[in-house]
Amino acid sequence: MAEGSVTAQAAMVPLSPGVFETDPQGEPHLVGARCRQCGTFFFPRREVCARCLSADVEVVPLSAAGTLYTYTVVHQSTPEFPTPYILAYVDLPEGVRLLAPLAGVAADQVRVGMRLRLRVEPLRTDATGRTILGYRLYPDGGGA
Amino acid sequence: MSDVYVVGIGMTKFGKHPDRTVVDLGSEAVREAIRDADIDPRRVEAAYCGHVFQGMVAGQRVLAQTGLAGIPLTNVEDACSSGAVAVREAALAIRAGEHDVVLAWGMEHLTGRFRGALTPAEDDLEAAVGLTMPAIYAMRARRHMEEFGTTRRQLALVSVKNKRNASLNPLSQFQTPVSVEEVLASRPIAEPLCLYDCSPVSDGAAAAILCSARRLRQLTRAHRPIRLVAAALRSGEVETGLPSMAFEPLTRRTAEAAYEQAGIGPEEVDLAEVHDCFSIAEVLRVEGLGLFPVGEYPVRLERGEADIGGTLPVNPSGGLLGKGHPLGATGVAQVVELVRQLRGEAGARQVAGARVGLAHCRGGKAAGIEGAACTVNILAA
Repeated sequence: MAEGSVTAQAAMVPLSPGVFETDPQGEPHLVGARCRQCGTFFFPRREVCARCLSADVEVVPLSAAGTLYTYTVVHQSTPEFPTPYILAYVDLPEGVRLLAPLAGVAADQVRVGMRLRLRVEPLRTDATGRTILGYRLYPDGGGA
Repeated sequence: MSDVYVVGIGMTKFGKHPDRTVVDLGSEAVREAIRDADIDPRRVEAAYCGHVFQGMVAGQRVLAQTGLAGIPLTNVEDACSSGAVAVREAALAIRAGEHDVVLAWGMEHLTGRFRGALTPAEDDLEAAVGLTMPAIYAMRARRHMEEFGTTRRQLALVSVKNKRNASLNPLSQFQTPVSVEEVLASRPIAEPLCLYDCSPVSDGAAAAILCSARRLRQLTRAHRPIRLVAAALRSGEVETGLPSMAFEPLTRRTAEAAYEQAGIGPEEVDLAEVHDCFSIAEVLRVEGLGLFPVGEYPVRLERGEADIGGTLPVNPSGGLLGKGHPLGATGVAQVVELVRQLRGEAGARQVAGARVGLAHCRGGKAAGIEGAACTVNILAA
């Protein structure tokens, strides 16, 4: 999708609090947490490292490309999610596994191990008419 | 640690009960458990009620219908493990010496509240991108297929076995066996899972009366008591790194705690009731519990090892797939089945010579956590 203006992005509601941070150019980026003591990454963010229990945890941007770990085509869901749609877990280089909708590919072309790219973009409109800012996966064709 | 016995059980028929309320269902199960224990209701000192979606103080509304109002009551929510956690809490109250006779029951009227797929909590990050419970298990099924060569047909055999067992259980939601072909031809829910790979939306209740060793001697009962030798509970850990989704560390950790309490190993288990909310789930459970080697269950199932009459019968009651899955009731219904089996009162689905039975529940999902709540209760004749 074309990137919206800064004001349009600002008016959006994030999928969940703390999932994005906005860079100096006003662009939202997906962020996780990294333990400064043991180096473990977490998504979603944790206040305390689940591995070494250190509270010395920093917020860091996550990679926008990874590998498909597993997927499903959902045929029955709740009313706000029209079916069918593809969900996939992507493994990021940080050692983080993240769930997102997968688009831009036919269901019968999806393969475990395929390269995917993550884009921050509007996902849907909620019941009160607000645009929900989320993220989707696309096959990594090398382009933007 | 003092011994805990199950001295009374009760259970409604599971299924769709549009004309009944959850209080009605809960009361039926509780009254039957008291009758089965053959005790004066005034002997019941405390109660624990497992449910998920039944609203505030649902348990108290059942006490008011059963002559038990006034005793300490705790409503328990741990998603699909709620009922099993209620049993554990009752056992802990007895072990601690606080009470001698305790009621644990679970209940759910789900058809009045839900249609279609359950999801994690609404504000969970993964629910917000469209995750449903069938979808998470579908993705785990795909990993089991990738890692161990499990076939779609082998997964269908779980549903075929459990619906066949359910046809031998008069309290089951499903009374008719299905074929592999029927499972594979049922409509897709979350690929590769189809409708018959999924447990149904159900209403129902189940209850158990637990008793201390010292009070046991004073009770006059028609049935021999069954000892609860382990009641283990664990919560899911935050996942770090990229662990396999084809194995359940949470189930393994909970099982190890239960085996240690019971002083037995998985090889001593004669039958198991495990949380088969989906066909793939039974595979993940029994492998996580150490009842079958990791990656081998589908092949062992194909050979009939998990059938009634096999080397280790799994879900002789029909499981969640066949008996039904009224969320809060499920963990107690598993205990009810094990007690029937260990008493030798399971009729057409009786497992011959059963002496040790294991019940496993797993409930809930949250982003970044392997699972939410896991219980393993072990009973011995």
